[in-house]
Amino acid sequence: MSEAGAEVAPVADEGLGEAQGACASRRVVLSTHQLTKDFKGLRAVDHLDLSVCEGDVFGFLGPNGAGKTTTIRMILGLIYPTEGHVQILDHRVPEQRLDALRHVGGFVDVPAFYDNMSARRNLRMLGRMSGEVSEARLDEVLDMVGLSARGDSRVGTYSHGMRQRLGIAQALVHRPALIILDEPTSGLDPQGMKDVRELVRELGRQGTTVFLSSHLLHEVEQVCNRAVIMNKGRIVVQGPVSELRPTRMSVKVLTSDQPRAAEVLGRLVGPTDVVDDGEFLRVAAGDDLVPEMVRRLVAEGIDVRAVVPAVEQGLEDFFLELTGDSSAAEHGGADPVREPAGVER
Amino acid sequence: MSHLRREIVKVLFQRRTYVGWVGLLSIPFIMTIALRLSNEQPAEGHGPPFFSSIASNGLFVPLAALAFLSFFLLPLVSAMTGGFVIAGEAETGTLKTLLTRPVSRGGVLMAKWFVAVLYVGVGLALVGLGGALAGWLIFGVQPLTTLSGGQVGVTHALGLIALAYVIALAGMACIVSLAVALSSLTDSSLTAAVGTLVIVLILQALGQFSYFDFLSPYLFTSRFQDWFNLLRQPIPWRPIWEALLVYAAYVVVLVIFALAVFKRKDIVS
Repeated sequence: MSEAGAEVAPVADEGLGEAQGACASRRVVLSTHQLTKDFKGLRAVDHLDLSVCEGDVFGFLGPNGAGKTTTIRMILGLIYPTEGHVQILDHRVPEQRLDALRHVGGFVDVPAFYDNMSARRNLRMLGRMSGEVSEARLDEVLDMVGLSARGDSRVGTYSHGMRQRLGIAQALVHRPALIILDEPTSGLDPQGMKDVRELVRELGRQGTTVFLSSHLLHEVEQVCNRAVIMNKGRIVVQGPVSELRPTRMSVKVLTSDQPRAAEVLGRLVGPTDVVDDGEFLRVAAGDDLVPEMVRRLVAEGIDVRAVVPAVEQGLEDFFLELTGDSSAAEHGGADPVREPAGVER
Repeated sequence: MSHLRREIVKVLFQRRTYVGWVGLLSIPFIMTIALRLSNEQPAEGHGPPFFSSIASNGLFVPLAALAFLSFFLLPLVSAMTGGFVIAGEAETGTLKTLLTRPVSRGGVLMAKWFVAVLYVGVGLALVGLGGALAGWLIFGVQPLTTLSGGQVGVTHALGLIALAYVIALAGMACIVSLAVALSSLTDSSLTAAVGTLVIVLILQALGQFSYFDFLSPYLFTSRFQDWFNLLRQPIPWRPIWEALLVYAAYVVVLVIFALAVFKRKDIVS
């Protein structure tokens, strides 16, 4: 497999029509096509199809071990897919990695730098690997991430948070079309988190496409316009963040025999609408069903200890429900009945 | 050239670079001072090569230092330098930082290999210059008596010494290449360096047994003293060229292997 884009014949655009469909009239900046990675028999990423449109601040959500970092490594050409490919603008990765990476800035895991050099020298060296970078631009990005005062200090003297900020600066320095940030607020203090989120929002306002990996749902809700939720290497749900938040209600029930209660309530509302979160049974239903639920439980000889009235299910609950339900994840998503409006699967 | 410039800058910003060079530079001075202060000089034909001749001519200091260091310390420096090339950057996480930029992996590896050899080369140059300086200051220099018994002038001798160092560098390039190859296989620079040293020691051990004499011409470690031939009159060039050919073969094969591995390697560190 050749690294140099110039040596590679034009690549067929199989699957690109589907990716374009998700973006309507906007250009597809990043898409993955049946992207799969196996590590020693373990499938880390499983036939992943996603598309990021120009101007998106795209949230890439999932619990630890969901396959987020592996996916980002494949996007950045650090690891080779077992199957499938990544498309960045007109360039296919891994075959046209060099051409593709000219349009990308970002980091994966913890940003790493040459500790004996200053932040400014690191930025200059890394930035110039992607094109010409002026000293004024170095000042600008250092200022954007709040490191102007320490730009000439050795990176070895930096705190974790400062390294995170420098990671963002090096992602931005060459003005890429696509910025990929892997948990950029990890390890930051609350003010640092707020600053980074505001910076990402500002990038989005300026029309920069951002691919933001996170396990923090509220972060994605605050910053992103579109998102996917991933679990066990597969997409569980994807779509606009505004539509990702489910509008349905759920009642929390605590009984003397939760497994039997789940069976009884499952017969009432459907088995996939009852989830045991370890503390309560969460039943996808409104308050109007509570009397019937209690009647049926009592009729089965199950003591009802508590019923928490219906509340709108938050994205946090929704996320846990989706990723905690292994059967849903293994089948590529939850029950279609529960799919929020406008959300793609 | 940008790859090379970047790698050179990185090496120059590392403190261990200077620690290694200062360490190498100090050795000929320590040797010379120790011999000067010692009451007993090594008898003719005893002790490490050329040691017994140092007291009579300071020009033997760089030769003695080279012979002394070629056995273990230079292979150690070469193994550590080459071992860090890929695995060291994988350990610190900077390999992924580098490779998320539009740079060809082949170009990165070749630049790293070249700079590793250059680092060893500068180290060798410091040993040579330090040895010549220490020898001149402490024992003085005069026309060099060759291994064949004849004499060559000081300038001519310095030329031969320089050539000996270049040939020794070619031998060390084999070790650097072996370490780079192992470095491309692992994410631990220590594993790469120790693995290299173990292989070098095994090859040196093989060269010690007459049973394996048939292998000896093909082992790069058996060629580490072929530069001694420069001190004969007339110079028998054939073993020197053969040594260079063997070195070149090892370097080419090992670097191609490293390239093949590195280009397909998943960067997961």
